[in-house]
Amino acid sequence: MLPKKKKDEDRKKFTTVSIPTPLFKKVEARIKDTGFTSVSSYVAYVLREIVAEVEDEEPFSEEDKERVKERLRALGYID
Amino acid sequence: MKRKRVLVVGLDCAPPELLFDQFAEELPNIGGMFDEGVHARMRSSHPPITIPAWMVMATGQSAGRLGIYGFRHRRPGTYNDIWLASSRSIRAKTVWDILGELKKKVVVVGVPPAYPPKPVNGALITCFMTPNANKEYTYPTTLKREVEGLVGEYIFDAVFRTEEKEKLLKQVYKMTKQHFTVLKYLAKSKPWHFFMFVEIGLDRVHHAFWKFFDKNHHLYTPGNKYEDAMRDYYRFLDREIGGLLKLTDKDTSVVTVSDHGAKRMKGAFCINQWLTENGYLTLKKPPPPGTSLAEAEVDWPKTQVWGWGGYHGRIFFNVEGREPQGVIKPKNYESFRDQIMRELKNIEGPRGEKWDTKTYTSEEIYPNGVGDYPDLTVYFDDLSWRSAGTLGYNSCYLLENDRGPDDAVHSRYGVFLYFDPKRRLGGERIRDVNLMDFAPTVLKTLGAKVPDDMEGRVIEEVV
Repeated sequence: MLPKKKKDEDRKKFTTVSIPTPLFKKVEARIKDTGFTSVSSYVAYVLREIVAEVEDEEPFSEEDKERVKERLRALGYID
Repeated sequence: MKRKRVLVVGLDCAPPELLFDQFAEELPNIGGMFDEGVHARMRSSHPPITIPAWMVMATGQSAGRLGIYGFRHRRPGTYNDIWLASSRSIRAKTVWDILGELKKKVVVVGVPPAYPPKPVNGALITCFMTPNANKEYTYPTTLKREVEGLVGEYIFDAVFRTEEKEKLLKQVYKMTKQHFTVLKYLAKSKPWHFFMFVEIGLDRVHHAFWKFFDKNHHLYTPGNKYEDAMRDYYRFLDREIGGLLKLTDKDTSVVTVSDHGAKRMKGAFCINQWLTENGYLTLKKPPPPGTSLAEAEVDWPKTQVWGWGGYHGRIFFNVEGREPQGVIKPKNYESFRDQIMRELKNIEGPRGEKWDTKTYTSEEIYPNGVGDYPDLTVYFDDLSWRSAGTLGYNSCYLLENDRGPDDAVHSRYGVFLYFDPKRRLGGERIRDVNLMDFAPTVLKTLGAKVPDDMEGRVIEEVV
């Protein structure tokens, strides 16, 4: 159970990232009257969306791999 | 130096013999840069193939250091399991990564392997290895919408191994035209100090139309309908490049490069067929013509060697303790390898003609190699014969390719052409340079420090 506890602790930790003030103001205006209560929570949401994609270890899904392999076969690189 | 910019025109597969010696005079834009700049033959990587060649150029590091030996790689300890090179396979920093860290803005389009798109300090579009246009293929992701708003569905490639030549030509023209529409848009609307693109259309045109153009090709017919197809495409490409050059200023140096060259294909040599006939590869039953090795029933405990096709050959040994059913004793590895190298080098052409076959051990061409390199690398008749991995034929020699029509093979020198609008460099041909010299030279041009881990050197004649 110890690792899980550590992860929870990690999740609660915050740090500061700098962004240009004009961008901060733009985001502030954008989230007005939305479910986002702060610029920080909106920025964290947007970053999570992007980083989740990048973290995916395998660059090609099984289907994509077959698709690219077929293309490479047509290019003469597979057999 | 602050205003200095570099535009890199990447022409996949452009050989110096055509671009410099045969066509430069007919191409007003490339020819103009040729007359006023300096040019050289640029030695390609081992192997001289699109992947790894563009990344060797972009990182200034050899294929061995990058651990990239082609489009596909064998998963260690398996016979048929492969992994494909992707942008994630490239751990070294590219020239645009380094420039981005120096806060210089970059635009990078189609430099393989670019999928999945990696963040850059600017804009990036992936390459022909992208599964399809439904995927995320730009950085930032919103760029995809801009691209599609401009040209509709983005075209990554044209399938060239077809007998429908008319249709293929249309496809390639459409693709290249679309690419340049996007490039011009990016050149105008995005800030950049470094702008690099690779057009794959030229490679496809070479492979599909070489026999119609080259009088020495064994399948050439005088007066054929497509005699000028290659020349016409070069002219078209030059006009499109001219359109892009109009958007650059006097502070922009233009570097035109290719990853490897091309020459006529003499035929395909069936490496696994040859290995079978010489007792190194054993099949449980004879396969029908055109069977791939993965489909053939290989008797692995009775097999010492197998090979892969492509424009070059990759040879693998079935080594005890390394492969699941290995038979070559590790202590015999080197003597066995010497024997195979000797025999491969002695292979003659179908009419008994002498071949200039090159064989390389991995220690030789990948001295600090990492990752999944083959036991041997082979260029049959110095690449004039491509390597075919399929089996089941009556002969080891195919005059046509085994997987659809293909007329050209790769050659070991690409092009390097440097043009600085502010300097008259006289159109001189300088000594041969190396793909790995590209990144240091671009960095120096833009006033950036060249990292110590780059294996290439600055081309002093141009900076």
